[in-house]
Amino acid sequence: MKEYDFTLKFNLQNSQDNPDIYVEKLHEGGCDDALIGVGRKGYISLNFIREASSAYEAVSSAIANVKRVIPNATLIEATPDFVGLTDVAKILGCTRQNIRKLIVTNEPRSPLPVYEGTPSIWHLAEILIWLREAKTYSIDDALIEIAKTNMDVNSAKRWQKVEPNFQENIKALIA
Amino acid sequence: MGRRSHPKQEIEAALKYAEQNGWRVDVGGSHAWGKLYCPYNDKECRCGNFCISSVWSTPKNAGNHAKQIRRIVDNCTRYNVADDSSEEEE
Repeated sequence: MKEYDFTLKFNLQNSQDNPDIYVEKLHEGGCDDALIGVGRKGYISLNFIREASSAYEAVSSAIANVKRVIPNATLIEATPDFVGLTDVAKILGCTRQNIRKLIVTNEPRSPLPVYEGTPSIWHLAEILIWLREAKTYSIDDALIEIAKTNMDVNSAKRWQKVEPNFQENIKALIA
Repeated sequence: MGRRSHPKQEIEAALKYAEQNGWRVDVGGSHAWGKLYCPYNDKECRCGNFCISSVWSTPKNAGNHAKQIRRIVDNCTRYNVADDSSEEEE
């Protein structure tokens, strides 16, 4: 069993709902390993440190726990996944300049950002896997695993936005 | 300070740390032992949701819960602005 550290952010069905009303039930529903953020009406965030046999099991059981208590809650995002260089530096405990240099000097073999702009955004999993495999950094397995699972969950979430009639064609286009 | 102490020592230490950084601790609840309020509680805050966080009386793992509490204090964007010298992201 490993410990997986991740945060799930949900939208409540009613934007005026005070998330506080669900807190007691979430404890009974198995979320006693989460710190629950109730700072904004219409949203609830849970930072889990969950023991599980895989990151997928940790994330899927956590989502199931929340959905059982708040059936109409919809997942907005699982983090960590989308990151800027400052976030990566913080996660790895190095400077932002350090990470930036690594990525820039290794272009085009370094991971491509999902958004190139101000700031650019990457998938954390792609950066961590690259650092481990190409740069022989030692990176916690549980962190890579959770970043990868969150990327899968968030990507699946995005895929739902694709117009159903176009899904087949679009799959072929991006293959 | 007049508030009741949290029964778990690690969590009490984390709550004290939050208070030292200006957070307010309100006791009350059953599974929830109380709530933590960010001093800035600012609409423009990017991490928003954890500006008010619920603290368990009996979390699954007290050490981890203490770690979670310390982290929201350290992650507060307003708190970080004060000593953030890094340049804008490019």
